[in-house]
Amino acid sequence: MTFFKKPKKLIKENDQNKVSDTSCELESNVYEPPQTIEDLLKKVREPFSSTEDLRTHWVELASDKRKIALLFIDSIVDKQIIQQQILNPLFEMSKEIDTISFEKVISLDLKKQTDFTKSQELLLLSNTLIFTDDPSCYYSVVTPEKVDRDFTEPENEKVIRGSHEGFIENISSNVALIRKRLKSPKLLVKYFKLGKETHTVVAMIYVENLANPSHVKEVEKRLTSIEADAVMTPGNVEESIEDKPFSPFPQMLSTERPDRVAANLMEGRIALVYDSSPTVNVVPVDFFVFYQSPDDYNTRWILGSFFRFIRLFSFFIAISLPSFYIAIVSFHFEVIPSALVLLMKSSLENIPYPPLFEAMLMELTIELIREASVRLHTKIGSTIAIVGGLVIGDSIVKAGLVSNLMIIVVAVTAIAAYIVPSNEMSGAIRLLRFPLMLAAATLGFLGIVFCFMILFFHLCRLYSFGTPYFAPIAPFHFSDLKDTFFRMPFWKMNTRPKNIRPIKESQDNQTRKWDTDE
Amino acid sequence: MNKHTITYRQLFFVIVQTQIGVGILSLPFSLFTIAKIDGWMSLLLAGIFVQFSILAIWKLCERFPQQTIFDILPKIMGGKLGVVFNFLYTLHFLFITVLILILYNNIVSKWIFFQTPGWVIIFTLAMVGVYFISSTPRELARFFMLVTPLLLVLFFFILYAYTDVHFLYILPMGETGFLTILKGSKDAVISLLGFDAALVFLAYTNGTSTKKLKVISFASLCVTLFYCFIIFTTYIFFNPMEIVIVPEPVLYMLKAFSFKIIERTDLIFLSLWVVSVATSFIGYLFVTVKGVQKILSLKHHKKAAPYLGIVVGIIATIPSSKLETLMWSKYIGMTSLILSVFSPILLLLLAAIRNKKEKEVISS
Repeated sequence: MTFFKKPKKLIKENDQNKVSDTSCELESNVYEPPQTIEDLLKKVREPFSSTEDLRTHWVELASDKRKIALLFIDSIVDKQIIQQQILNPLFEMSKEIDTISFEKVISLDLKKQTDFTKSQELLLLSNTLIFTDDPSCYYSVVTPEKVDRDFTEPENEKVIRGSHEGFIENISSNVALIRKRLKSPKLLVKYFKLGKETHTVVAMIYVENLANPSHVKEVEKRLTSIEADAVMTPGNVEESIEDKPFSPFPQMLSTERPDRVAANLMEGRIALVYDSSPTVNVVPVDFFVFYQSPDDYNTRWILGSFFRFIRLFSFFIAISLPSFYIAIVSFHFEVIPSALVLLMKSSLENIPYPPLFEAMLMELTIELIREASVRLHTKIGSTIAIVGGLVIGDSIVKAGLVSNLMIIVVAVTAIAAYIVPSNEMSGAIRLLRFPLMLAAATLGFLGIVFCFMILFFHLCRLYSFGTPYFAPIAPFHFSDLKDTFFRMPFWKMNTRPKNIRPIKESQDNQTRKWDTDE
Repeated sequence: MNKHTITYRQLFFVIVQTQIGVGILSLPFSLFTIAKIDGWMSLLLAGIFVQFSILAIWKLCERFPQQTIFDILPKIMGGKLGVVFNFLYTLHFLFITVLILILYNNIVSKWIFFQTPGWVIIFTLAMVGVYFISSTPRELARFFMLVTPLLLVLFFFILYAYTDVHFLYILPMGETGFLTILKGSKDAVISLLGFDAALVFLAYTNGTSTKKLKVISFASLCVTLFYCFIIFTTYIFFNPMEIVIVPEPVLYMLKAFSFKIIERTDLIFLSLWVVSVATSFIGYLFVTVKGVQKILSLKHHKKAAPYLGIVVGIIATIPSSKLETLMWSKYIGMTSLILSVFSPILLLLLAAIRNKKEKEVISS
């Protein structure tokens, strides 16, 4: 076997050869283990060439002058662990050391390894390798350096009531955050390694007796088909495995909230957790998942349903308000009451530009302000918002470039676009209103209607991992409406969403049994 | 998972959306010119006639399960004649889509865009149609279902007319005599066209045979009643002398209403009506493209879609005057009567005589 062989599925047979060709001296089907410890070390160090953070530490045992070598990558191991778990026990028992006691005493994580081809991977995964004078085997101890930040609340997904924990850049902590919420033996975690060079670890998490096996298989298939040198960000994976990359709509939910992920897992969905990224993706999703926020379930259900209405309403406002304005102003001013027509006329009379240009100008200004304030420090960001929002807004009207009404329309639209509790969806909406504005400027209401038809048909034919994206509206599932347009009370949510075809559909929310009046 | 099949419930929406179309606006007027105030009875009569055709279509498709009319024709007629008839039917459906475009253009250029060149209005819808028909029947059915609530909005708009109606206008009933009513039902049948889309969509429908029949019949019943409601409402809103001078009574009626927020209800109505027109256009365009696929034996109908859209659009721009439009609608109406209403019955007879029948192939 080759030196590079890893227990992963993503590299197909023929590619394995391709990879190993580059290190021909190591590639040999009759691999003979080297005899001395120095030779062994040399072989193991070979693929790393001359990197300076790969350190060898020699330990000489006092009793019989035997030499033991520790091999680790300086930058990614915790030296304190090495000291406490390896070196200290070694010195304490150095008098009567033999193989058996060695394995028993040193560390909980100690593993005996005989496969030398794995050594490279182990080193990269923050292991410390221990070489004794027995050339047929070596030991590995996991000694990762913990430099995690706190589980702070994600900046872009704040809630009023509910957990304020957020994912961080460490995959095992993230998995732990999910496990903390779902203490079920049925919660399965499956690791994948992506990227031939980066070896990014991706964990696929699902509840075994809920998630539909066909979806699990589909996700696995798409993940393993990724062949790339570098898979750096969740975005890379998203674009590699989503159904329609040309759609403006996000087909996976990205969230940094463990409670949101846990709730979705319990509905039978699958979560993808990435190493070095606080973003977790949830698949398969439908359009309405993007409109659910953990807050909804902590407020009273009537209020929760009201918020849902507001959010879905904001979808229409954000997409179509400027285009409606343009259509009315340029073509159909008969539609609005005559009193308002006069008002509009007086505000529009002195504007030299066509309404489309006005709207485009203002929309682009808002986008400029947004883009500028995202990158900046909070304090400067608010300055930009004031300068951009108030000063430009006020003086552009005074200068006579844009009408009063247009400022109102654009401002309402901008607020509406940010109501969606998902950044991706908000982006999609902001983008979609430009074609709609163009259509409204060319064909008025007719253009808007045609654009909406195309938009909704696109949603009808969009799939997220084989499940219809626009469910439960198209295809229509009446029972699933309870968690889309409404947020029904907990005891009404007795079934999981049909759309994602969970194995177990009933949710057994049997509460309020004491209430005999019902 | 086969993404092409639709459920029998979805078939209901496909038929309803294909049937309701351009006719809504002008039907009350065109029926009035023939059957006077008994026009609504003509429509009910037409609804009954249509049921016979539906029965024939259903029986025909039951004999050849999971096959569209374009598969069935060669089997009944034999190879060469079948190809000729396939061509004929494709052309027939193509001209129905053209007619829809022409009538839609007429209304739009009369009520919304007076100066926009016709070809812009026509090609916008044609291109939207192209996007739609490059999909599967299931996705179409989902969309048709999605937009069906809009019909309820139209219904409520018209219901508002009942604040100002005079039931006496409808009397005396049956004054024109049965023959005139029967004559009027010919025009009414043409406006009810759309059930013939079942010739293709039945092939994709799951469910038992009786359920399919029930669904199509019920769809046609709903549409007949909806149309009847519209006609009836306009006849009691306008007095008989007025209708003669308003070619689109529904719109004139709505134009009279104004609310505190919306001044011109008819424009909103028209915008929603466009969706209905588009769905019937799309339904027929899909049927046509299936025919084209069969004739050219294409692997997927997607390839033919853009060309078909362009062809349909170009043909629809040909009639320039109102007289020509009337001619076109007269001739296309006639061929529709023959090919969509009568010939399914004949085809069924032919199939029965020649005893052509096929067992259902259970596809995995």
